[in-house]
Amino acid sequence: MALETRVIEEFRSELRSVDINEAPYDKQGYHLAIEARTGNLQNIVDFFDKREFYIVDLFCVDYQDYLELVYFFNTHRELCRIKVTLKLDPEKPVAPTISNIYPMASWYEREVHEFFGVYFEGHPNLTYLFLHDGIDHYPLRKKHVPVPDEDKKLLNSFKPQEEEDCFFINLGPQHPSTHGVLRVVLKMDGEYIISADPVLGYLHRMHEKMAEKKSYAQFLPNPARMDYPGALLFNLAHVETVEKLCGIEVPERAKYIRTITCELNRIASHLLWLGSFPADLGGLTPFLYAFDDRENILDILEDVTGSRLTYCYFRFGGLYNDINEERFVSATKRFVERMRKRFDMYDKLITGNVIFINRITNIGIMEQAMIRKYGASGPFTRSTGIPFDMRKVDPYAAYGSIDFEIPTGHIGDNMDRYRVRMKEMEISLNIIEEGIKKLPQGPFKAEKVPKKLKPPKGDIYNAVESTRGETGVYIVSDESDTPYRMRWRVPSFSNLMTFPYLAQGVLIADAIATLGSYDIVVPEMDR
Amino acid sequence: MLNDLNTLMQIVGKEVVRTVLGLIGVFIVVLGNAIVLTWLERKVAGHIQRRIGPKEVGPYGIIQSFADSVKLLGKELLTPANVDRPLYFLAPSLIFVPVLVSFVVIPFDGFLQVKDINVGILVILAFSSLTVLSILIAGWSSANKYSLIGSVRSVSQNIAYEIPLLLSLLSVVFMTNSLSLRDIAEAQKGLWFVFYQPVAFLVFFVAGVAETNRTPFDLPEAESELVAGFHTEYSGMRFSLFFLAEYTNMFIVSAIAVTFFLGSYQGPVLPGVVWFFIKTYALVFILLWFRWTFPRVRFDQLLNFSWKILIPVSFLNLLVTGGILKL
Repeated sequence: MALETRVIEEFRSELRSVDINEAPYDKQGYHLAIEARTGNLQNIVDFFDKREFYIVDLFCVDYQDYLELVYFFNTHRELCRIKVTLKLDPEKPVAPTISNIYPMASWYEREVHEFFGVYFEGHPNLTYLFLHDGIDHYPLRKKHVPVPDEDKKLLNSFKPQEEEDCFFINLGPQHPSTHGVLRVVLKMDGEYIISADPVLGYLHRMHEKMAEKKSYAQFLPNPARMDYPGALLFNLAHVETVEKLCGIEVPERAKYIRTITCELNRIASHLLWLGSFPADLGGLTPFLYAFDDRENILDILEDVTGSRLTYCYFRFGGLYNDINEERFVSATKRFVERMRKRFDMYDKLITGNVIFINRITNIGIMEQAMIRKYGASGPFTRSTGIPFDMRKVDPYAAYGSIDFEIPTGHIGDNMDRYRVRMKEMEISLNIIEEGIKKLPQGPFKAEKVPKKLKPPKGDIYNAVESTRGETGVYIVSDESDTPYRMRWRVPSFSNLMTFPYLAQGVLIADAIATLGSYDIVVPEMDR
Repeated sequence: MLNDLNTLMQIVGKEVVRTVLGLIGVFIVVLGNAIVLTWLERKVAGHIQRRIGPKEVGPYGIIQSFADSVKLLGKELLTPANVDRPLYFLAPSLIFVPVLVSFVVIPFDGFLQVKDINVGILVILAFSSLTVLSILIAGWSSANKYSLIGSVRSVSQNIAYEIPLLLSLLSVVFMTNSLSLRDIAEAQKGLWFVFYQPVAFLVFFVAGVAETNRTPFDLPEAESELVAGFHTEYSGMRFSLFFLAEYTNMFIVSAIAVTFFLGSYQGPVLPGVVWFFIKTYALVFILLWFRWTFPRVRFDQLLNFSWKILIPVSFLNLLVTGGILKL
């Protein structure tokens, strides 16, 4: 029996008063849809918590007549995506918090609060997460809704309080090891961290609002600006979602080229991390070695896509242009061969060093049970031993016809996260090699894709496995040529949410090592 | 020329002339060393990281250090608003005093030594402990939490590592019955002390790396944790004085290691001073090599390593040395 039928049966027997409907997965990207009410939301969420679902995303859509809160749940065992919606009165939107069940919801609820003005009853800390002083209306509402004065006070209440026997340190936004402009307010007792409180928004550009003002094609370059080290994968997430929404069939050749270039990009992104992680621990040399390898990938991808960092190569229904097969295949094969030999060197340079080993083993241990509470994903999840990979559970592009394994760790410490990423690079090489072997001939682009896409009415959620984890796009279409709402579920955001949990009570040096092992990308988090 | 010098010596006394000339020589060595080391560090780092390093200014980029120092001289001296001004200004100059004093007693060869004091090594150890004072002053006066953490780390690190440093040198002193560096150098005419005291040499060198705040023990200025540690708020020439002191300290630690364990200026064919510099820079090169290969240890690991490993080992070594000498 499929998981969704089991869920339906249990759900109906436990919560009689609530409707549960099956949804066409191929068209909408989720199996079940539930309409909750303010009164029974907690019970519904509790139901999924008991069945070990993890929370994928929480966001809001403004339908003018009403606001709709959307909760997505899924399991790590198999794919069973569930959408729970909650309608709110736009005049006075109040919803119960679920942060007492899923701690991860705390950040998402803050986000919804500052962008839509939804109040969450019982939320411990409803302050600004992205935005800072000075906004006077809720940016993602369709109508102009001014921020009331008492709400402004509430949002601005984040002020570090000086106390006895401790002091505050601002780690960032300008700091060598926050990889950009992440700011973490650390409450310190000597060298030990009492609590860590990330402050986001220094690179916030409101891509979700931008999407509402642009046609689908015009938004193509934007995703690359979110996750710049893994630009192609974000490009893919956007393109695949729109294709699914419009029902565009992609030719096989394009699928394979997408897979190969995406895996190249994944290795490039992991190499960037491989360089910066030891640098966080004080070893600056691996950085240059990793960049040496990364340079090779950038050369290959430059030849294919025309750019070196913020790629915009995939189009709806295919690719921007075909590859020069001779040049591409020989260059890629050369790279794969070279890269395979380099792993031994990295092992000697990094994992062969006793200082490095002592700095990362048994540091920053993430329990497997907590992963689903925080909705973490990607290598971060796999390092705790959960073999969850969107490429495997819901194959997209050509991943369905390529065989590959999913590396997992054991205890989820920094060493495991390091090992999983290293292994992932090796597996990506295998995928690339097999993809090249199977690369079919044929068109690289679907025919008759209209210039101006006007997808049918409806919503869709689609996720790909980007370098950092599950990257999901949720689109609501109203039959116009611009999306009514586009929501990005980014992995760094939910992964970073575990940082306050892991940083509690550890040395500042360990916290930095843990932060380095996350492989966060700030523009992706801030969107 | 030589006549003039002789007359000068007769007028003001031999000792004074020797001291003045020696101090001028020390200055030249200190500045020359800093210039060479800046270039060497960048070049070594470059080659370890599969780069070329500086190559534009002069052949092999040799004049790069001069260009750098001109740039540093021309930079604005920023003074942050809340600093404790007298202490803030004092710290960079203060860090240089102990460094210069240490040079006075180091014998570069049989003749080239500013002054041979019969407690030479004590002078060096006593004054090098003062370095930590100026680091503490710098961190305290900067009114910056990163600086403060950096300087506090520095103090506990230096206390922890001075003990094994002293103990390892003591075992050599046991063998020579003298604290004068000249005597110790002369005693190695035959076999170098590193062959009698390999353990002491290793302990000394590791503790020396920690004393000079170099990677893997560069916790006071750990850039990924503390931005730049105690000198976060210093810019321009003030920053470069800290920089200069670090390079000079590297030279001193290597020079002491050479004097105590590697036969000082003793060596065949070449003049003594050449041997001295060759050996010293070989050790300096190893220090650079460390920096560009190792990551940084954690603070508790650093202290544990000293108190639980280095100090017991050096005590045991001292005990064995004493026992053998008594027999």
